[in-house]
Amino acid sequence: MKKKQMLAALMGVAMLSTLLAGCGGGDKEGSSEEGGVKEFTAFFAVPGTEINDDNEIQQKIAEITGAKCKETWLTGQTAEEAVGTMIAGGEYPDFIDGGDGMAQLYDAGALVALDDYIDDYPNIKEYLTDQEWDKLRQEDGHIYWINQFQNIYGEEKATTHNDEAFWIQTRVLEWAGYPEVKTMDQYFDLIEAYQEANPTMEDGTENIPYTILCEDWRYFCLENAPQFLDGYPNDGSVIVDPEELKVIDYNTTPTAVKYFQKLNEEYHKGIVDPESFTQTYDEYIAKLSTGRVLGMIDQWWNFAYNVNDSLKQQGLDEQGCDYVPLPITIEEGIQNKWHCSGSVLNEASGLAITTSCEDVEGALQFINDLLSQEVHDLRYWGVEGEDYEVDENGLFYKTEEQRLEASDTAYKASHLCTYSYFPQYAGTSRDGINAMQPQYQPTEFFDGLSDDVKKCFEAYGAETYVDMLGTSEAPGPWYPMYSYSNNMTTSTPGGMALTKMGEIKHEYLPKVVMAEDFDAAWDEYMEAYESCDPQAFLDEMQEELDRRMEEAAKYQ
Amino acid sequence: MASMAKRRRKENVAEPTPKITWKEIKRQKVLIFWSLIIVIYGIIFYYLPLGGWVMAFEDYKPKDGLFHSAFVGLANFKQLFSDVTFVRVIRNTLAMGVINLAATFIMAIVFAILLNEVQSKGGKKVVQTISYLPHFLSWIIVTGILHDALSGSGIINELLVGLHLIDEPINFFAHTKYFWPIVAFANVWKETGWNAIIYLAAITSIDPSLYEAASMDGAGRWAKIKHVTLPGIKPTIIILLLMNVGNVLNAGFEIQYLLGNGLVQSVSQTIDIYVLKWGISQGDYAIGTAAGIFKSFVSIVLIVIANQIAKRNGEERLF
Amino acid sequence: MKEVKQKKSKAQKSVPDKIFVVLNTLFMIAFVVITLYPVLNTLAISLNDGTDALRGGIYLLPRKFTMKNYNTVLQKNNLLTGAYITVLRTIFGTVTALFANAILAFIVSRKRFLFKRSLSLFWVITMYVNGGMIPIFLLYKNLGLTNSFWVYVIPGMVSAFNMLVIRTYMAGIPDSLEESAQLDGAGYMTIFLKIISPLCKPVYATVALFVAVGQWNSWFDAMLYNRMSPEFTTLQYELMKLLSSVTNQGSSAEAMKNAIGSVTPTSVRAAATILTMLPIICLYPFLQRYFVTGLTIGGVKE
Repeated sequence: MKKKQMLAALMGVAMLSTLLAGCGGGDKEGSSEEGGVKEFTAFFAVPGTEINDDNEIQQKIAEITGAKCKETWLTGQTAEEAVGTMIAGGEYPDFIDGGDGMAQLYDAGALVALDDYIDDYPNIKEYLTDQEWDKLRQEDGHIYWINQFQNIYGEEKATTHNDEAFWIQTRVLEWAGYPEVKTMDQYFDLIEAYQEANPTMEDGTENIPYTILCEDWRYFCLENAPQFLDGYPNDGSVIVDPEELKVIDYNTTPTAVKYFQKLNEEYHKGIVDPESFTQTYDEYIAKLSTGRVLGMIDQWWNFAYNVNDSLKQQGLDEQGCDYVPLPITIEEGIQNKWHCSGSVLNEASGLAITTSCEDVEGALQFINDLLSQEVHDLRYWGVEGEDYEVDENGLFYKTEEQRLEASDTAYKASHLCTYSYFPQYAGTSRDGINAMQPQYQPTEFFDGLSDDVKKCFEAYGAETYVDMLGTSEAPGPWYPMYSYSNNMTTSTPGGMALTKMGEIKHEYLPKVVMAEDFDAAWDEYMEAYESCDPQAFLDEMQEELDRRMEEAAKYQ
Repeated sequence: MASMAKRRRKENVAEPTPKITWKEIKRQKVLIFWSLIIVIYGIIFYYLPLGGWVMAFEDYKPKDGLFHSAFVGLANFKQLFSDVTFVRVIRNTLAMGVINLAATFIMAIVFAILLNEVQSKGGKKVVQTISYLPHFLSWIIVTGILHDALSGSGIINELLVGLHLIDEPINFFAHTKYFWPIVAFANVWKETGWNAIIYLAAITSIDPSLYEAASMDGAGRWAKIKHVTLPGIKPTIIILLLMNVGNVLNAGFEIQYLLGNGLVQSVSQTIDIYVLKWGISQGDYAIGTAAGIFKSFVSIVLIVIANQIAKRNGEERLF
Repeated sequence: MKEVKQKKSKAQKSVPDKIFVVLNTLFMIAFVVITLYPVLNTLAISLNDGTDALRGGIYLLPRKFTMKNYNTVLQKNNLLTGAYITVLRTIFGTVTALFANAILAFIVSRKRFLFKRSLSLFWVITMYVNGGMIPIFLLYKNLGLTNSFWVYVIPGMVSAFNMLVIRTYMAGIPDSLEESAQLDGAGYMTIFLKIISPLCKPVYATVALFVAVGQWNSWFDAMLYNRMSPEFTTLQYELMKLLSSVTNQGSSAEAMKNAIGSVTPTSVRAAATILTMLPIICLYPFLQRYFVTGLTIGGVKE
């Protein structure tokens, strides 16, 4: 008996000691040095791809800058959750972009104020104008993060329209002899006429004349067209009247009624895909990849990266299944603003340095070095002779082989290192010849185009996607308003209203399009919509607009 | 003979726990020692974090932490229950929880019993191995296949049109009335084989002499299932039923999220989706915690009621 | 179904029995077909070119065969570390959890145990209450469990569900065995290890399977508690990172450009799923004999 009790006691102790075993685990150091190379850590609250630890270009950059950074990305959590647990634990990586959780990090005092340092780092200082730096100032007057994207250096090199548009397959335009299509009515008339003449593809697959993606947050393909149709740029959640400087709700404009009524008519004519409102993103992409869909509204980045390769692989580009954008407005005579020039500063988030970083100066030096032309070229173009070649005029180009290699997943992980969530440039390189990033290099762009698109561009006298739409002046200094509404939370009446409006639109807009009696359905929708108190939202947006204009006035 | 298993169990239940006396404590000191360790463990890992519930009564801000956020009383609960949407998601969650529970529960038992009746040993092994495989498919894959099968040109519509049961394809995901059955079907499809594992293990505990005795009495297969197998696994069935009753509010998140769309959101949104949308995505943890407390409260009430019913009927119970 | 000649079915098979056998066989065939389809479909997609798969129409066989999806998954950084940690956590986690749940189940299934109701209730409650992500995170951090291997083993050791499954099984074992052992002077530990446990093999196998599968598949803990400790990464976390990088959740042009390209989410997901399933498919036959043989425990007689 005694022995067994001893045994039992021993096992109990063993169990307890397992329990406590973890307590020995020490805290991890934030940044560390290894063989003279500083190692930083970074967390970006967006999904992304990790590169290999022995990545070649990362190594090369480390040799130049004396530092490298281990990047981790969001996995299976919302940005707010990831940031929330970090704040609770009080441990951060050296660099962070909290995405939608940026405000939380600021509130928690997790970020280092950068304004005192910026002047010491010429490349960082140069990265934004004084006005832009001031836009990044928080309520306490300090700058905590640097917006990384859509920053144009020198002359803008616009090739792809990376934004929203009415898209149409080149075969439709070719069939009709490349007509001018300027209004929504003309657009649908063209699709109807084509569909009647050619109900199927060459292999007998039935065409889908027009489809709409409505899944979750991607329902912008349905809901935000009225702002563009009225000739306003993509402020996201409201229209800003540039004369009066008043916010306008695009959901209730006469154009919105016309647009949805048109969709309703087309739905009953069988032009709008009946599966529009139930399809998932995957299914939508699969549909576009078969080349069956004649037209849709979408953001370029939402479909093109997936669909274009697939069309090419199947030889569907030869049948004219590639998409080009059209400069459509609600009626003729309105200047469209689907494409606007200029940098866009989304001041809601950016790259920040946290209080856990033990070497803030080293971290800033790293950002500074990443913006030097040499390192920037390494990040985006790669290694000369391996990833790109230089011709006698100093123009960078890629061979077909190099282009293929750059799209290979394994090669990307082991060789390329773009530090894609660190500040970066678009536009023209400091050498005045090349684009900062290969995708904006005109020669690269043309070499990659399919014949049907080239032919179409030629017919319209265009050289790029952007030329199809025409470029508008950059909108006013308030732009873009979505950088404010994206960060609204349900803690304010306006944020509450915005979330409710989103819910209602998700449910009622499909109903409105499918309704037998459009007017009744619209009235019902409007009633539900008004009950969300949209005015509260508009008031807050107006307030923000006024604030932004006031700030901007300081620079005139 | 048929009630042997039952009788055996009945006797067990009937024996009362002795009174707490020093003598008895001394006798059971090994058991008490181990329980203590396990209870300490439970307090640390399960009960200590419940301190986080104060969050539901605070205007929780991550920077202030649990201890310094402003106390707001029941404001978060008021916000939840004054929202008509929340009341609707409770209905959806309950409905789907109950339908799923009934469907997956019955299917797993039926499958386990029928599989046990398969005579070929090889066949049995193959069927069982296959049966649990879908458990390892993620919801995103299962819903993808389901979406395909139920689409306008999918196999289900082709079948229905081919059999002249309907004239033109049904867009299943556009109608609110199909949503709950589709979710239940998907759950059954994915989990039947996996859930049956417990019952198959339970069936092994049935004394084979009971089957022999039943055969001797000339009982057919149905009779043996009814009088030997079912009573034999009844304790397992009841325990699992009791546990699952407490889970009806955990009807899920992923499947509804992946299968839902704007047209059916009035029936597809569950409490978890609501919390994500109105709480977590807005950085508002307090709302999520408040909803969690509400779910825990309902679960425990349901469990206690179910347990009392089981107790009154002299059945197996949880505690 | 011809060689059905079991010792117990001496009696001539009746007509209803035959009908039953036929119907049951049909049911099983239908069941297998319906169940197997998604798995085979996933397999086919995992072996098919990703871009080609976007066109749809792939059912049981790949149309454009490629191993690229598997290559994408397998060339992933840290996969070996992840596999090593996952195997370790599965072994450690399963052994400790099985022991802890078994002993707890043993205690609460003792008829004479003074606190069996309160102890059961104590654990049943844990199934339905949850402090939330942040308080649990804080607790683990203060216990030193973050950035450590033990966060995979210790917090999930006892689970009320598994305990109840074992308890129910133990309750079916006749008391006479315990009583006679006690008369022979055996203590509770001896009864647990030598008498009850050997009879509980099927239920132990069940619970071991549940725990092992849970350990094998879990990744959230690796992300939450060991995000900054790549040496404790797990296989599933590495796969999840890969999946979320190919899954086009990016809400902006930057995020989409940052996605992995050239392979599609659907096909990589399929490949990852098949790779995850493999070890468990291999493990299962070893455990299966405990459930499938059925009707073999002759030792338990009153």
